[in-house]
Amino acid sequence: MKKPSEWKVHALVLGMVIIAELIGQKKFQVGPGQAILLPMLYALVMGLFMGPKYLKLVTMEEMKLATPFISISVMLLMAKYGTTIGPSVPLLLKSGAALILQELGNLGTIFFAFPVALMLGFKREIIGAVHSIARESSLAVVADIYGLEGPEGRGVMGVYICGTLFGAIFFGIMAGIFGSLNIFHPYALAMACGVGSASMMAASSGSLSAMFPEMANEIQAFASASNLLTGADGVYASLFLALPITEWLYRKFAREDKSQTQTKLAATKEVR
Amino acid sequence: MNWKETVKVLLLTAGFVLVGNLIGFKINPIEALPGMLFLLAIVLAGLALAKIVPIKLPSIVYISALGIMLTVPGFPGAEWFTAQASKVQFLALCTPVLAYAGIASGKDLDDFKKLGWRIVVVSSLVFIGTFVGSAIIAQVVLKFTGQI
Repeated sequence: MKKPSEWKVHALVLGMVIIAELIGQKKFQVGPGQAILLPMLYALVMGLFMGPKYLKLVTMEEMKLATPFISISVMLLMAKYGTTIGPSVPLLLKSGAALILQELGNLGTIFFAFPVALMLGFKREIIGAVHSIARESSLAVVADIYGLEGPEGRGVMGVYICGTLFGAIFFGIMAGIFGSLNIFHPYALAMACGVGSASMMAASSGSLSAMFPEMANEIQAFASASNLLTGADGVYASLFLALPITEWLYRKFAREDKSQTQTKLAATKEVR
Repeated sequence: MNWKETVKVLLLTAGFVLVGNLIGFKINPIEALPGMLFLLAIVLAGLALAKIVPIKLPSIVYISALGIMLTVPGFPGAEWFTAQASKVQFLALCTPVLAYAGIASGKDLDDFKKLGWRIVVVSSLVFIGTFVGSAIIAQVVLKFTGQI
């Protein structure tokens, strides 16, 4: 077998950047709203299908090689966030209350997703799946309390994988649609862009700033400030709010063998 | 990843961003170069701080903190730094990051096929619920405090 080549990965990335930027932004109508497709999303999708089963341009080893490159290249983006937040610090301070309180809105996932997950017949997978947007910090908390092998772990892993693969695309399109619907102010939507991973935030705040170019700086400042806050409080929100609420809802609404729930709870307490 | 590797990947990414910046936003790489060097310097200083400072925080905390500090109104040269950084478009910075992420995540496609449609439905609702929940509270508080 051929040796995995790091340079091939970099060359492919350059190629994808060129193709994606040449295609450029595309707007299209979705029902009453408008969605924007950004070059970064084309790059993501092209990348997803580079593997041995599809375009056969990279091997499994080369895909693994690319993993640390994400965290290095994202550092430049983080520096850019800093330089976007800096000039907007006075505005962010004035909106501090909203920025901090909207973090509680992240619990909205429970109320949206719990009833549907129950109807779809999920059991304790629900607790892992719906308690949060399932980024790395939630994964760590669920792994610590329940372990990743059990149903709760399967639940959180499922949403985690969907988020990694389609989260950015979903967020990019969702933010565009909400932006064009005129229900929320672009600042409020910008804060909502920061609830998930860096790529979800990039795609969603990117769509919003393409839609409201005159507010682009403020939108990116709010989104990245909200994302930094989520990064800081995510673990605690999962541990002390989201998981206990989801557990409580599950005990109340899911039909299950009581004794099993009791042992699970006892186990939970021991770990804590 | 050792230092040499990290710097190499940083420089490559910076180059790709300048290419994307030119194609997508018609900004001449020479014009954007000072801004890019500024961002690179912030990253390297942030990485160095993460190594030196005894409080163990992820390097991105130092990187974003430095970026904020250097561009906050009132800091010497803040306006110049901000003007330079603004020549490197945010969207152009995202494209190579997501290209790397795409290649690396390709290996999860098989896991995804095993998941089934029900978890995809639940995931979509999780995304919508988190986003809308946060937007509702932000909207209400911004209105209430007279910001919008």
